[in-house]
Formats: sequence, C-alpha cells, structure tokens
Amino acid sequence: MMRVLRTIPYTVIRMSRDYITLLLLLVVPIILITIFYFVLGDLKNQYGDPAFYDTAQLMTLVFQLFGGSIVIAHIQDDLFSPRRQRLMVAPMSRPFYALSISLCGMLYSIFLGFLLFLFTGIGLKVEWGNGFWVMYIIGLLAVLSSLVSLILIFAVKNFKLAERLSEVYGIGCIVLAGLFFPIPDYTVITFINEYLNPLLLAANAIGYAQSNLFPDAYIYMIRLGVGIVITFIIVFVLGRRKI
Amino acid sequence: MIASLNGIVKRYDSKLVLDYIDLDINEGQIIGLLGPNGAGKSTLIRCLTGMETVNQGNVTLFGDGKKPFQNKNKEKIGLVTQEISIFPELTAQENANFFAGIYGLKGEVRKRRVAEALAFVGLAEHTKGRAQNFSGGMQRRLNIACSLVHDPKFLIMDEPTVGIDPQSRNHILQAVKKLQRNGTTILYTTHYMEEVETIASEVVILDKGQIITRGTVQDLIRNIQHEERIKVEVSHPEEVSLESIQALPDVKQVIKDGNQILVVSSANSGHLDRILTIIKEDSGVVGINVEKANLEDVFLTLTGRTLRDGGSA
Repeated sequence: MMRVLRTIPYTVIRMSRDYITLLLLLVVPIILITIFYFVLGDLKNQYGDPAFYDTAQLMTLVFQLFGGSIVIAHIQDDLFSPRRQRLMVAPMSRPFYALSISLCGMLYSIFLGFLLFLFTGIGLKVEWGNGFWVMYIIGLLAVLSSLVSLILIFAVKNFKLAERLSEVYGIGCIVLAGLFFPIPDYTVITFINEYLNPLLLAANAIGYAQSNLFPDAYIYMIRLGVGIVITFIIVFVLGRRKI
Repeated sequence: MIASLNGIVKRYDSKLVLDYIDLDINEGQIIGLLGPNGAGKSTLIRCLTGMETVNQGNVTLFGDGKKPFQNKNKEKIGLVTQEISIFPELTAQENANFFAGIYGLKGEVRKRRVAEALAFVGLAEHTKGRAQNFSGGMQRRLNIACSLVHDPKFLIMDEPTVGIDPQSRNHILQAVKKLQRNGTTILYTTHYMEEVETIASEVVILDKGQIITRGTVQDLIRNIQHEERIKVEVSHPEEVSLESIQALPDVKQVIKDGNQILVVSSANSGHLDRILTIIKEDSGVVGINVEKANLEDVFLTLTGRTLRDGGSA
C-alpha cells in the first residue's frame, strides 16, 4: 500500500505535464466560453437572466464528460502497454496502483472543472449559486465520466476503440440533452435525460439549487450518485479480471 | 542457486512455445540466452518472472519453489524490458525515483541509489532532462537504470540493445560486466551473438522453444570447431622458414601464397604467438588474420540455420 502511495506524486506530475489534455479540457473550453460571452452579450433567457449564464454552466459541465480520457490514457499507458511488464514484476499491488491512477485522474478532472468554475464565476461573473454545491456536483459528474471510461477500457480489447467509445458517450450525452439541435419529445429520450444522462442530471442539480429548490436538486444529485455506485460495481468486476 | 526452471512447458492455445525447459542460473553468472526471433526467449523470461503461468513444470527463485513470485523474491529481481518502459513525461531522476519507491526504498537510501543508478548508466549529467527529449540510446540506458535502482541480486535483460547506436551499446555491455563484478547475476537475452561472446560466462542457445545447447563460449565453439586458419601477411615471404612452422605440434598445413603465409592447425592450438615469433625472425609481419568459429557457426552447425534471421544458411 505504501509503495503505491509513493507513486502518486509522479502520477500527478505526469498528468500536469500532459499538455494536450490541458489544452482540450481547459484551454479550449475557456476560449469557447469567452467567445460565447461576447456573442451572447446582454441577451436574456426566458427567466430574465443573462442567457450566457446557462451556456457557460453547460459548457463547464460538458467538458467534465470528457474528463475520463485522462484516466483511461494513464491506465492504458501503465497497465496495458509494455510498461505493464515492469509493473507486473514489481513488488506492488497492481489493482491498488490502478485505483490510485483512477483517483488521481478523477481529482485532476475535478480540478480542471474547478478552474473553469473559477474562470466563469470570477472572470465572467456567471451566477452559479452555492459554490460548494456546484463543485460537489461537478465532482460527481467527473467521477461518473471517469468510471464510464474505465468500463470501456476494461470491456474492449482495443484502446483506440475505448477512446472512441468514450467520445461517443460524451457527444451522445450532449446530443440527447438537445444542445446541438432540438430533440423530439419521445418517451425513451425523456426517460434517458431525466434518469440517465449525467449532463442533464448535473445541470438540473445545479439549476434547482440556484432556484433554492433543494429537494429537486437532491433528487438529481442522488441519481448521479446511483450512477456512480452502479458504474463502480461494473468497474470493480471488470477491472479484477483485466488487471 | 538464483533461479531454476524445471521441465517448463508453455503453450499459447495449441502452439508449443517452451518445450520442457530445464535451466539453472547460479549466483554471479552472466547467462547469455541466445536465439533467433521467435525462439521463445521472451516467453521464458515471462515464465521466469511470473508474468505468465506455465502449463507444466516448476519455477524456483532464490531457493523458493512454493511461492517463487511473492514480493520478498520480486524485490531481488530487476527486469530490463525489451521495449523501453519508462515514463516519457518524467525526468530521468523522477523515473528512477518512481521505481525506487515501488521497490520500497526510502529517504537517504533512495536518494543515494537513484544518483548511483543514473551515474552507473552515464546519465548523471542528465538527471533533470525529460525522458521524452532523450535519444534512443539514452532512453535505453534510463530503462536499465530504472531496473537497477533497487540493487537487484538478479537482473534479467531482455534484448536491451535493440535499435541503439554503437556507443550506447558498448556502454551497456561494459555496465553489464561491471554489474557482474559487483556480484549481480544476469540473464541476458539477445539475438546478437557478438554481445554474448563479449559478456557471457555461459551461453544457452534456444531454438523453437528448446534449449539446444549450453556451455561457455569456448566450449560451444570447441565442440563444433576442428581447425583454425591463421593468415600472416609478411614483407619477405621467401625468407620465412616454413619447416619451422610445420614442425609445431598440431599444425596440419603451411602454405605460402604470394606474400601471405597460411597456417592450418587444430582448433585452439594456441600457436599464434609461436608462429609470429618464427616469422619475425626471418621477415617483417605486415598483417594478420585468424579465422575462428563463432557462436553463429555453433548455431548454424546445430540447427542448419543462421541465427540472425532464422533462415537457411
């Protein structure tokens, strides 16, 4: 256990030096949100609030959907590449090591979400409501996305395919949420968005909390939590077989 | 005894990769495991280190045949992987520190061992450089440093010099010899016979999953070699006393061909010095060439194929 703990600083250093990920999950959203800030200007939504607030919040949440790419890239590099041999002969628990990488990746993804939250909240004056609640929900969303990505890397043999599928997961959630184009009012899609789509679960949890409708906010938060429990069980079962 | 493989059989589906392998590795040896691509060298290493389960047979490490792959034994093993398996985003020092940590090194000992391992492979000047900016040879050397940082008793090197420049290759071979002098036992796999000839105290030749022969380089060559040919280029061939050379024991034939004297004698007769002395009494020596058998010839003799490509000779 102690040996795995000693690897954590190096995992964090490696993640922080992965500039492509920083570019895609931090710089790109900052640029996009800034563009929307200028494009939407003083435009108001149906409740009379600046329309930019909704866009900025959704954009921040959208990029959390892709945070799982950090975890799967590092799991692939360390446990499904030639480096695996060296770790297999080392006197260290591989499952614990995989867990430490996953936790580091999740925390890193949450940290990037926190930076976006700060940028939009302080830099662009977006009204988020209770900051702790927002970070809690962003955290749940990041954890769930990482777990979904882990399921994909453990379930398929090809890393590239797992990567593509995790992108399908992210883009699929955005499409179903109706952010690209209006989604027809089908029962199945409504059910998915109400109970399964993590993007809308997180957005609703934050939105209801902003309106002080905490009982509703809790319901969406609990749905996110149930998703985490279910995906964690699947990751645990698949991971034991693969690592 | 450092390690022992007894009757190891390994199959991938119906393909037999290791066929009843028996191998003992004693303390302080450099065992050169030689064989063409696909001979089973890497699989043998995977079985020896517990990365693969064997279909049949036993592995014993450090005298432990019951639980050979428990952490206590793993701590004494270092593995230099065939493919470079370091972290490109980390510096040389951070890489070595990572591996020192997973082998349980702490505090001052860890600091000292990291510095020693990097200095040992000639990277003391590059500790702060990121691995991704290193040349292929430097990355190979860092790959070795990461395997040495915990000072293993038994170092397994799986083709550590593939695709690197001659300078780095020489550096690695010298480091291997130095390690042996410091008491490390080394299993060195390669398909470059020159490397094995340079460093190995014992050679094991593997082909199609079977050990086809083992022994010292000299023993293996002696077993297949019956004569050696010494060619001496001289300045005044007409003045050389061929009779004196012919009179030496085990000399089979002496031929004068232009300004060259060809001496054919039994293998390892040890006549080179004496022949040169005789020639130098009568003439000047311009050049010399001793044609001797090598491990390539051993492999060729035993399998009918060349070592490098596994094809027919």
